[in-house]
Amino acid sequence: MSANTNNNVPVLETQHLVKRFGGLTATNDVNFTLASNGRLHAIIGPNGAGKTTFFNLISGRLKPTSGKILFKGEDITGYSTHRIARLGISRTLQIKSVFDALSVEDNIWIAAQAKMAGWHPLRSARHFPDTQRRVDKVIEEVGLQEIAKREAGTLSYGDVALLEMGIALASDPELLLLDEPICGMSPKETQRTVEKIVELSKLVNVILIEHDMEVVFDVADDITVMAQGGILAQGSPSEIASNHEVREAYLGFDEDDDGELAIMPNEQDIGQPSKGAHSNG
Amino acid sequence: MDLVFALAINGLIWGLIIALIALGLSIIFGLLDIINLAHGDFFMVGTVLAWFIVQSTDNFWLAFILVPIIGLLLGAVIQKLVIVPIKGAAALSIVATFGLSIILQETVRATFGPAPKRLLPPVEGTIPLFGIDYELYRLVAAVISIICLAAFFLFLHKAKLGTWMRAVRHDPETALALGIPVQRIYTITFAIGFGMAALGGVVAAPITTVDFRAGVDILPFCFIAVIIGGLGNLQGTAAAAVLLAFMEGVITAFADPVVARIASLLFMSAVLLVRPQGIFAGATS
Amino acid sequence: MSNAAPTGPARSLRTPEQKLAIFNRVLSAALILFFASAPLILPLVTNNFWIGITAEIMMWSLFAASVNLLFGYTGLLSFGQALYFGAGMYGVAIGVAQIGLGFWPAFGFGIFCSIFMALVTGSLAVRLTWHYFAIITVVFSLIFYFLALTMSSITGGDDGLAFQLPPMFQFGDTEISLTNSTLQYYFIFIVVGLCFFLKWRLLASPFGRALVAIRENDVRAELVGINVYMMRLASFVISGFFAGVAGALFAFFGRYASTSYMFYHVSGEAVVWAIVGGAGTLFGPVLGTGVLIIIREELSLYWDHYLLLVGVIIILTVIFAPKGLTGLINSTVLKIVAPKHNPDTEAQSNLADDKARQPAE
Repeated sequence: MSANTNNNVPVLETQHLVKRFGGLTATNDVNFTLASNGRLHAIIGPNGAGKTTFFNLISGRLKPTSGKILFKGEDITGYSTHRIARLGISRTLQIKSVFDALSVEDNIWIAAQAKMAGWHPLRSARHFPDTQRRVDKVIEEVGLQEIAKREAGTLSYGDVALLEMGIALASDPELLLLDEPICGMSPKETQRTVEKIVELSKLVNVILIEHDMEVVFDVADDITVMAQGGILAQGSPSEIASNHEVREAYLGFDEDDDGELAIMPNEQDIGQPSKGAHSNG
Repeated sequence: MDLVFALAINGLIWGLIIALIALGLSIIFGLLDIINLAHGDFFMVGTVLAWFIVQSTDNFWLAFILVPIIGLLLGAVIQKLVIVPIKGAAALSIVATFGLSIILQETVRATFGPAPKRLLPPVEGTIPLFGIDYELYRLVAAVISIICLAAFFLFLHKAKLGTWMRAVRHDPETALALGIPVQRIYTITFAIGFGMAALGGVVAAPITTVDFRAGVDILPFCFIAVIIGGLGNLQGTAAAAVLLAFMEGVITAFADPVVARIASLLFMSAVLLVRPQGIFAGATS
Repeated sequence: MSNAAPTGPARSLRTPEQKLAIFNRVLSAALILFFASAPLILPLVTNNFWIGITAEIMMWSLFAASVNLLFGYTGLLSFGQALYFGAGMYGVAIGVAQIGLGFWPAFGFGIFCSIFMALVTGSLAVRLTWHYFAIITVVFSLIFYFLALTMSSITGGDDGLAFQLPPMFQFGDTEISLTNSTLQYYFIFIVVGLCFFLKWRLLASPFGRALVAIRENDVRAELVGINVYMMRLASFVISGFFAGVAGALFAFFGRYASTSYMFYHVSGEAVVWAIVGGAGTLFGPVLGTGVLIIIREELSLYWDHYLLLVGVIIILTVIFAPKGLTGLINSTVLKIVAPKHNPDTEAQSNLADDKARQPAE
């Protein structure tokens, strides 16, 4: 995994990435580099800053208007979604999305099998011991052993989120894209999920989109701030917290908050966690 | 050349009637998210009801008033009985309307009989039209259809109910929050859909034959119009119906009518695959 | 937290579910046994007419199974399966009557035609989903229906194309052909049986699981690395193959082909059989096909308008038993083997669970 990769080649690199929808520029000349250093990278920014579009471009759900995306040095621009997934980029969606009628175990099995063995049409699905081992391991990693046999459609919100992460992990990815994993969760679920994310980030390269500033400044090693499709600032949490441009941009956007669940930080929010970040560093 | 002209005019008039029926199909599809496989049979029921009323009262214009009203009522009842209980399961709704289609056809076959019958036009005689003697009723049918189409669009854009229907189509949840009785709008929409098809049936009855299988032939054509015009684009649907019927009429002059139908279907598949929003997209209502 | 409560009932549920699985296995075995022995049993209780009907049920079951593979397992509702049935049927009839092929080459030609047709139309159709998919499959089938009508010199149009049954095997002077009705029955039984065996293997394989994953959530399926387009196409072609085999068998059975079997109403019937029987189960379509054909054959003797009942059955099924006869049977069995199990109370306990969580939120 990340240990095997050459540290000189970044896991992910985008060069002059642009995405336009008609007249709207959703991604504006983004040059982003993620080194393979086992650090947890968070992307923050107001609604409409282009964070999810950025994820959609990386995972191949959208094709860029121009620019390049490199994964471990390989140019994956224009690759189809399933191909990118098999290369080793996994992602979760903002709106939780699993295979409802399948058991927790089978949800993860599908993802593991996709990477490990493929879709033999005439062999029994039960005869893939490697896949099964992987499934058992992932279920343990995300802590779903108790409910492995349950139908995914009957799970609680927090468990679905964990399952989604399990699905993303099952293919043994080298890069994990998490899109607002804790959005809409109770404090207890949030805590459990955040702990999981921190654990995971030690195994896999993680890019996290998150609106909860408290969480971001608590767990992220590096932060990228996006605004209006472009990168506004990049740096450690403390650097970001004291960045004037960032504070202005956020305060400027505060009034445009369209009332989504996302928490728009005010001055206080940005100030507080920065202390935490200092004490971490 | 006369023949070409007559067939073209026939096509045009037929297209106006189809537009009425296809609009019914389109609003049912657009608002209730249902592929109504019984829609052709709604039309057929209209022709048969017209036949029965004319048989017993000898008054076509009474049929013209009564049939759409009966259609509205039948539509409302069917929506309550069949569509409401399966709301939300799109695939099942297709199957349900297929069952409905069987029931309607079989009921008509049992009561009206299996043999096709003709209905005499209420207005007899011909008028000379660019060198041919043209059946007068067909022109009357064209005028009636145009008036009904105009009334429909006027209703949709001016009447409160029409505005509500458009609001529900746009966003049912917001509509509900605004106090629009969404469930009732669904019933009304389905009823209007049936009513429009039945209206098309009365108008068409003296032109075509009254037959319990008539709906089977007309259904694909309505779908072609709805798809080519663009799902939910009602003006597009009406325009597509008229254009296509006109084209088929012209092609019929030179080739087998089936060839004309194949051409329309090929055109429709191309639209589905390349521009599923329809060829008139951009001018959505 | 919320995990603890539902695990309890889920665990106690396991035994009844196993019982249900056993019941289903017994039922399937009984079904297979019945079809295997029908030519021997049926004459004892009724006349030979019903052997032919049973053979028909098998062929139409295979046709319904082709709808089921697409709808029940891949999540695509095709209303145009009659096209592939017709391709198999005409492949055989044209092969024998116009090209002069023997029995097996004609059979192969019919199957080839249906697969080819499914590949060509499917590669376009599976680009669409839901309503659009249903519509384009009807449209494709209508296009070829009308084409077949216009080319009546080849297809015989509505009158159909009849042919002489070629022998299956020839040893010197002895010819073995399907004119032997027992042989014909068992030929159909074996071919349909092999197709169902194939379907069963496919569904138990990783391929089958991937199809279900696509049915459940195509976006997620793509994101975990499934080539959704190719899998849907594969499913479509296999489904076309099943329909084609059914059509080829039916051509041999009736010794003719007709465009009327390519009309969308025939596709609709297959959808109805699959859904009334229970989509998404292996033998559901067999059950649905069997019940509806028996109703047709029995009732049509006494009542000209038996189709009214069929229409009512369709609507009642869709409203009250959306999982079909199989779903009804399963829930009844579950109720018997686990009287305490009540889906309502379970739903309530889940609800209570959610409520319990609410203060925390």
